[in-house]
Amino acid sequence: MSLSSRNRIFLLALVILLPVVAIWHLFSGQIDIDGGTFLSALTDFQDSELKHVVVWELRIPRMLTALIAGAGLSVAGLLMQTLFNNPLAGPYVLGINSGASLFVALAIMAGIPVLSSDLGIVANALIGAFLFGLIIVFFSSVVRQQISLLLIGLMLGSFTGAIVSLLQSASGLEELKLFTLWTLGSLQAVTLDQLPIFFAAFSITILGAFLVVKPLNLLVLGASEASLLGVRIKQVRLVIILITAVITGVVTAFCGPIAFVGLAVPNLIRIVMKTQSHGSLILGSLLTGAIFLLVCDILIQSVESEFALPINALTSIIGAPFVILLVLRRLR
Amino acid sequence: MITTKGLLIGYKQQMLVAVDDLQLTPGVYILIGKNGSGKSTFLKTLTGSLPVVSGTISLYDHSIHALSESERPKKIAFVQTQFPVVDFLQVKEYIALGRSPHTAFFGKLNQHDKEMVEQALNSLGIQQLAERFTNELSDGERQMVAIARTFAQGTDIIALDEPTAFLDYQNKTEIVKKLMELGKSHDKFIILSSHDIDQSVASGADFLVVDSRERRLSHLPAGTFKENLISRAFSDY
Repeated sequence: MSLSSRNRIFLLALVILLPVVAIWHLFSGQIDIDGGTFLSALTDFQDSELKHVVVWELRIPRMLTALIAGAGLSVAGLLMQTLFNNPLAGPYVLGINSGASLFVALAIMAGIPVLSSDLGIVANALIGAFLFGLIIVFFSSVVRQQISLLLIGLMLGSFTGAIVSLLQSASGLEELKLFTLWTLGSLQAVTLDQLPIFFAAFSITILGAFLVVKPLNLLVLGASEASLLGVRIKQVRLVIILITAVITGVVTAFCGPIAFVGLAVPNLIRIVMKTQSHGSLILGSLLTGAIFLLVCDILIQSVESEFALPINALTSIIGAPFVILLVLRRLR
Repeated sequence: MITTKGLLIGYKQQMLVAVDDLQLTPGVYILIGKNGSGKSTFLKTLTGSLPVVSGTISLYDHSIHALSESERPKKIAFVQTQFPVVDFLQVKEYIALGRSPHTAFFGKLNQHDKEMVEQALNSLGIQQLAERFTNELSDGERQMVAIARTFAQGTDIIALDEPTAFLDYQNKTEIVKKLMELGKSHDKFIILSSHDIDQSVASGADFLVVDSRERRLSHLPAGTFKENLISRAFSDY
């Protein structure tokens, strides 16, 4: 069987698997909700029914959050890895999440209400993410080498990390707890009326990614080969960084920094699909990322009665060994 | 016809090499000169990735440097010395990337594109490599595949920066022989730089020689004596 027909079957399997996992996710959680109740919540909503409220206020937003965050971060990671020609690049390497962390830390622990609104933490994280996204976009138009950009991202991360540590050492218990909880990450922070922001960021990501499919396919040859074949490197780089800033910013703002999804999933997909055709890779990463985060969250919910397992911890527990395997595999 | 008029080439407006007014007909040209004499500079200028200091290079009366970024790769292909090492990239996928200057926004191949890829594989006689992954190829196979990519690209000019640098004797001979064959059967300008004077003389190709003392690039016909080439290219030795 040829590689492309094998990959079509693989993608089809993912397309079938995703709704199965999504529905499984909807039915997991502390409160038992049977299929009939679920259907009536959808068709005949009663706000006096506790279970109906749970479906609409908790289950559906949480499922969609996991789906979008997993899919979006994975696609962003794929774009970053291709742009930097480095399998260890991911949506977080450019320091976009550091921006979010810094602003959240400033708001919570330094008492600087950078932007006080109902959204609170979320608004601050968004501003931080976009500000750092802009910084990276600025640097990307100045520096020639991709690797310099990675280094600048890493340095931004260390720099903000240091400031956050300073703030932590000087702040009270309550603030410390609030900040730590945010960094642990959670998929239940998004409410039904905040979902449109999620959808918007997600649409920009997917649309943008498919718009740069052709340059992405050429970028795997390296920037110099790509530009010899007609790719306008700076333009494409800008588009990719903007996409990453939008999706990483929104996801980090609401759910905290979710590690390793964007790093591990696209690598896995390349290994499984054995292609550099980015149309297929985007689809594969999108579906697998969504499935991966949904499954992680189902695991979390199944142990939630014992203790609260933060999503960021779980994705790291699964993701970090995978990345080590990846590195070992490359060294061989 | 490739013609140059009053051409000066170099980096950052610093004159490196003056080029004789050339009138090249389709065929194979081997670019010879010392390291640092300006071979790569000439190739980069010819492929339009480096601006001229002064003068013009034209391909069939159209200035190469007036071509837009999207038009240039339809006329000129460049094979760099190092083949890009990429995981999970099949030979046919790589060769198909040569079609990208011609394909539409999403890069989808039409029937003509697929035929060009097929023809490229046939011209180089490497159909058996089509399904292989590029990172599993030998150095000789890589060069064949890279040349096939430029054929799929369908350009008039194919420039190759030391395509035989990493090859053993047998592969070197084979690549040069293949290029000569292709130069005869196709209406293309194939210009490659090389260090190997013996092989270049044996190939029967024309020469472009950079005289490092005079800082001048000249066209010498096929059959020029080896001593003559050496005295020009390595005159200050």
